Amino acid sequence: MSEATNPETPLVNWVLNGQPVQSPAGMTIFEAAKALETTIPNFCYHPGLTIAGNCRICMVESNRSKKPVISCSERIAEGLEIQTESPMAIEARNAVMEFQLINHPLDCPVCDKAGECDLQDYSYDHGPDRSRFDEEKNIRHTKELGPTIDIWGNRCIVCTRCVRFCDEISGTGELCVVERGDRSVVDVFPTVPIDNPLAGNVVDICPVGALISNDFKFEARIWNMRKTDSVCAGCARGCNVEVQSLDGFVKRLVPRENMEVNKWWMCDEGRYDYRYLLADERVTACTKDGEPVEDHDAHETLAHWLQDPGGTLGILVDPYITCEEAFLVEQIASHANNALVGGWKPADGTAQSFPGQFTISGEKAPNRLGVEAVLGKLVFGSQGHALRTALEKGQVSTLIVFAGFPHPDPDDAWVQAIRKAKRRAVFALQAGAWTEGAGLVIPGASPFEKDGTYANEDGRLQRVRSFHAPGDVEWSHDLQRLQAVLRIAGLRPRSLSSSAVFRELADVKKPFHGLSHSTLPATGAPLPGFIPLPVGVEGGSV
Amino acid sequence: MAHDHDHDHDDGPAEPKGPGLAERTYFVPLIKGLANTLHHMFRVDANTQHYPEQRRAPAPGYRGEHRLKRDELGREKCVACFLCSTACPAHCIEIVAEEAPWSDREKRPRLFNIDMMRCIYCGMCEEACPCDAIELTPVFNIPSRTRGEKIYDKERLLSN
Repeated sequence: MSEATNPETPLVNWVLNGQPVQSPAGMTIFEAAKALETTIPNFCYHPGLTIAGNCRICMVESNRSKKPVISCSERIAEGLEIQTESPMAIEARNAVMEFQLINHPLDCPVCDKAGECDLQDYSYDHGPDRSRFDEEKNIRHTKELGPTIDIWGNRCIVCTRCVRFCDEISGTGELCVVERGDRSVVDVFPTVPIDNPLAGNVVDICPVGALISNDFKFEARIWNMRKTDSVCAGCARGCNVEVQSLDGFVKRLVPRENMEVNKWWMCDEGRYDYRYLLADERVTACTKDGEPVEDHDAHETLAHWLQDPGGTLGILVDPYITCEEAFLVEQIASHANNALVGGWKPADGTAQSFPGQFTISGEKAPNRLGVEAVLGKLVFGSQGHALRTALEKGQVSTLIVFAGFPHPDPDDAWVQAIRKAKRRAVFALQAGAWTEGAGLVIPGASPFEKDGTYANEDGRLQRVRSFHAPGDVEWSHDLQRLQAVLRIAGLRPRSLSSSAVFRELADVKKPFHGLSHSTLPATGAPLPGFIPLPVGVEGGSV
Repeated sequence: MAHDHDHDHDDGPAEPKGPGLAERTYFVPLIKGLANTLHHMFRVDANTQHYPEQRRAPAPGYRGEHRLKRDELGREKCVACFLCSTACPAHCIEIVAEEAPWSDREKRPRLFNIDMMRCIYCGMCEEACPCDAIELTPVFNIPSRTRGEKIYDKERLLSN
């Protein structure tokens, strides 16, 4: 893996399917072929795990061996000749497929893996289309392995990806293979359920439907769901995720590969944390003095407040707003005569790191650095204190609060302080202490419903996208609402897409120079010259 | 027309001949048509069915109203695999699955709605079903007073 990326590694001349090729020394046949865009089927191989070589589906013909070799574990060498489509390789593959399917139940129609199952895909391409096996299929256990994971033993092909994951990545080692021969199946030790912070990943890496997430079981068929590439907002790590939704409801989150951020994994805390989207406390309509009002009326009221704040204008931001939204906040502040911008962020949790070089950040918010890159390094530090002091002294007459946190954690000092503002508008995800007594409450969007960019704890700028299909929802996200307000207040000529707002931001703000939504790679890009620092520390180039 | 100076070579098709006198007066076609009408008026072997009283037996394989089948224990056969709704070209089948209370299967439909007004009666759902749980019956006269009645729920489909 690492050898492939090192330019110093010497190249090896070998032959793949009759074609002379060169690959960095030390690579396995499988990885080298994959890099050369020749796909070899695989079950037990996973780029993030050690090589097990037990599924045998990746067998290829080699000039160095009379028998076919497994490409996932054999390494390339000078003069090696490999055939992936020769009669010997095809026969070997077909035989393996037939063996895999001997005891595999034909329950694809009710299996939650169907549609993204390697065994299902390969059974179309390789092996006979019917079984020659006349005997009874053996039955293995179906049971709960832990609070979130179930096993359907009959479907298990014993590739041991999940066992290796628990040994190597989470380091907890709950899973093991029990029994022998065709009765072998993955299981846990008695009284030790699989319950680690990364447990959900074993479901993703299972090449068949043996390990099933309780949370997603029977919820939807894979092919019906809308898939949106976004970023998890559970912590400052910013794991790349794919949000899979059906009819406007999030059904599950799965990690996307990003070697710079989360590799292939994500934690359970982030994975199962999407229920707040449907919380009863969710603010769904604008209210003015507790009475529901039309969106336009609410926007107009806020625009009037901005035009005439009646004294000091305070803006309290949170680390859930996108960089684009932070940019609009700065525009509002720069047009006011007397404005104070400060930030609030939820209390830090405990950071966790795992043997597989995966970390969960202790900072439980997605975009503290992005907001700092736009609004200044001190926004969550001394600027926040200045705003709170002004609020406590009753010096702020108009206050705009961004309360987009999924799990409102009323910070008493702040809650008391914001109530001292003469009038208060809250962009709120959920009703609660922050919205109580507010003159204006405007529904806020959750991170999965926003469109824009977040910067993670390394200062890597990544794109977040709304999982809603265009036209799916009748309400707009914060960026559109802010622009509507600014348009009415005469501060912006028109409402633009988040990409266009980002272009303006990139023109003005140094860390964003040269970046744009369209050129941002799928894996994100570091903010050039931006040094991630702890809260309230000034430094770096900003 | 512009044929005055290029009469040396005949390059275009001949002008079609206009209708003759008989056709221009419409007299002969009129008589012909009337004769056809009279022939059918006094036909003895009339092919018309008097519909509400006389019912025709639909041909085998006729595709009418849907039905969800039950197994020998009276439970629905459907296992909520969504293959019918996946195959449906009109997207008229809505299913929500739930865990089955029985030991012999994992899933069953909690909701199974067919929008009969959207359905095009192609029979793909029947083709796709791995459990032989849905079929199209020969029932073709399925009137209703409201549009709402046209959305058949699970109970309605099981009782067909």
